[in-house]
Amino acid sequence: MIVIVLRDMAFTSRGDALALPRVHCPDHPDAILVEDYRAGDMICPECGLVVGDRVIDVGSEWRTFSNEKALKDPSRVGDAQNPLLNGGDLTTMISKGTGAASFDECGKPKYQNRRTKSSSDRAMLNAFEEIRTMADRIHLPAIIIDRTNNLFKQVYEQKSLKGHAHDAIATACLYIACRQEGVPRTFKEICAVSPISKKKIGRCFKLILKMLDISLDLINPGDLMPRFCSNLGLPKPVRMAANFIARKAVELDLVPGRSPISVAAAAIYMASQASAQKKTQKEIGDIAGVADVTIRQLYRLIYPRAAELFPPDFKFDTPIVKLPQL
Amino acid sequence: MDSSNDEALDIIITNVVATFRTRCHLNLRTIALEGINVIYKPDMGKVLMKLRKPKITASIWSSGKIICTGATSEDDAKVGARRLARTLQKLGFKVRFSAFKVVNVLAVCSMPFAIRLIDFTKKNRPIASYEPELHPAATYRIKHIKATIQVFSTGSITVTGPNVQNVASAVEQVYPLLFECQKPRCK
Repeated sequence: MIVIVLRDMAFTSRGDALALPRVHCPDHPDAILVEDYRAGDMICPECGLVVGDRVIDVGSEWRTFSNEKALKDPSRVGDAQNPLLNGGDLTTMISKGTGAASFDECGKPKYQNRRTKSSSDRAMLNAFEEIRTMADRIHLPAIIIDRTNNLFKQVYEQKSLKGHAHDAIATACLYIACRQEGVPRTFKEICAVSPISKKKIGRCFKLILKMLDISLDLINPGDLMPRFCSNLGLPKPVRMAANFIARKAVELDLVPGRSPISVAAAAIYMASQASAQKKTQKEIGDIAGVADVTIRQLYRLIYPRAAELFPPDFKFDTPIVKLPQL
Repeated sequence: MDSSNDEALDIIITNVVATFRTRCHLNLRTIALEGINVIYKPDMGKVLMKLRKPKITASIWSSGKIICTGATSEDDAKVGARRLARTLQKLGFKVRFSAFKVVNVLAVCSMPFAIRLIDFTKKNRPIASYEPELHPAATYRIKHIKATIQVFSTGSITVTGPNVQNVASAVEQVYPLLFECQKPRCK
């Protein structure tokens, strides 16, 4: 019985695929049949006759009850969809079989082509994987990872940076994302988690800015202060003092043309030397990625006006006159 | 004409790059062996020839294309290029001097005042870009004259453009913008 119906089905489906099904209700040939998806029926609205054309039931395959503590929901299959970033995850993969039927005579498995994933997005998926790895190394939150992924997608779709290594573009996107979220990471920090050289990252960075027409805010030493100070283990008053020193130094323009990272490092050095937790130039240089001679140079620039640079309510462990003079 | 100041700004051209073609195939080995003041770079596929009189360095390719760098003015570049072509002619090649074009001009200029780069970048947001981690100067690109200006905080600027005219007009254009963001003279 079922076989006959199936053959019928094949007949109608081989015909025009887009036309309405040719079966009509015998009593009401003009009536448009109503589809019942759950049961796979076509029903005539006038007399209720079931002209069961399709036997495909599009309902769920298992029954799930809401009060059952089912650990897995059997009607959901596959990974969570990532619609913004992929071209729609509508691929079907055939997995290697386990039964005897999936092996042919020589013992080799049939259906070997498991590798055909969504090939156009394979590069993008690889890049996302790489971004995820890099971000995990410096413990970046999901917001930044999402933003990086979005940026990478935009760059990838524009195709003007097609020649460059995907890793370089991914790294540059990560840098931009951190900047855009207001928590900039220095190039050296990003370099530490990426195989790409600082020069290449900088080059890709400039190209991406031009291509996506983004303009970023400049870094100021205050953005980096919390991270550096907590890495060094400096308490809050010292951090506030270093922040104040750096800000004042930039306002008074004692350090023209100097990188804000170096300014931050010198400010931390001065603040820590005036407090009970003294850090050496080498330690600060290691954390900030700045050479200790640079810290020394900048310290010499800000030392003459040290009295103005400290916040008024700072408790000096070492008074200003006793600060080291390099 | 540079500004409403009484001091004129000196724009010093430091480098002019020009290209031309000799319209014939050149044998680099012959040039390398018989030419004077030549350096052969077989891995790059070119010969460097340095002239003394207009102080010029030329990269010569076997296809006959030559790039001339190091000249201090456009005329100098042309004289040097012709002199180079003459040297190659004397070495026996059927050289025809053609398609001479000045490709790039680099000039430096010094403002009498220091400049606050952060203010300058903020005021000229999309056109100016400043990345202190990568380069200590702010880059200002003027699209319609195709000139690039690099502004340093000491007040010196370097301008590159396709010819001397563009360079001069670029300096004129950027002067008022720099004047706004200058650092006050007294400490």
